[in-house]
Amino acid sequence: MKNRLKVLRAERDWSQADLADKLQVSRQTINALETGKYDPSLPLAFRIARLFEQPIEAIFQDEA
Amino acid sequence: MTLISRFSKVYGSSRLLRGLLFGVIAAPVGYLLGHWLASLPTLGDWKPDWSDLLAVTVGLLMVGMGVGILIVSANRKALGRQLDPERGVPATPAQTIYYVQNAVVLLLAGVMIVTPVAVRAAFDGPPVIIASIAMTGLIALFLLQSAVNLSVWMRSDELVRRAMVEIAALAFMILQAALFLWAAGQKLGLLPVLTLWDATPVMMAVYLLISFVVAWRRGLT
Repeated sequence: MKNRLKVLRAERDWSQADLADKLQVSRQTINALETGKYDPSLPLAFRIARLFEQPIEAIFQDEA
Repeated sequence: MTLISRFSKVYGSSRLLRGLLFGVIAAPVGYLLGHWLASLPTLGDWKPDWSDLLAVTVGLLMVGMGVGILIVSANRKALGRQLDPERGVPATPAQTIYYVQNAVVLLLAGVMIVTPVAVRAAFDGPPVIIASIAMTGLIALFLLQSAVNLSVWMRSDELVRRAMVEIAALAFMILQAALFLWAAGQKLGLLPVLTLWDATPVMMAVYLLISFVVAWRRGLT
């Protein structure tokens, strides 16, 4: 699954650690999400969508 | 706020898994040490076999990793740099505790797997009282380690939990397949007899290897 997390984070000038703090996950998790090594759980995807005030499908795209 | 979310800013997997990388280097050292131990004059007739040497190797590896993590955890600034090189702020007390817990889990696992070999080496055919004391200690350590392990799980975020579940699932699949195939070969008289103790250090070694692979795949190294 692709995502726009890195772009959205950069637009707000947040570091990975800043975003991790806001989402209450580890910086490693943010890094794994951005590099496509990990797909978030549904609750985390919703938290991300709420944080960036965008629908989930605008942040995460299915590669199929 | 749930217990999990309260502790969700506490992570340590990266450090732990870098420790596993250290383990790859330390393994040959442990193996050589095991061989050296085997070459020492024995107490009585007892001689360590391959599974004893593997147990000592894996155990010392785990103890080494645990000590390494403890050393880093003792310095909150160093730990902070490991956790977040970008900001480099000192680790929080909760993060430090999390790392220490990871270290304790490794240390206890290492001590537990070495103990039966050490007792056997010290007392060839240990008296029942000594064996009972050792077994009681092992059960106590096992319970303590289980409690700390549970705490680590509760403090981990979803990525680390996912990695733990994947490690457990992969280890189960690989080890149960190996167990069945070996047992079948043994029953058919094609393979030598393995004891439960022979299988234990093999299981631990495979588990460590799988941990490293999963951590690498998930970007936790």
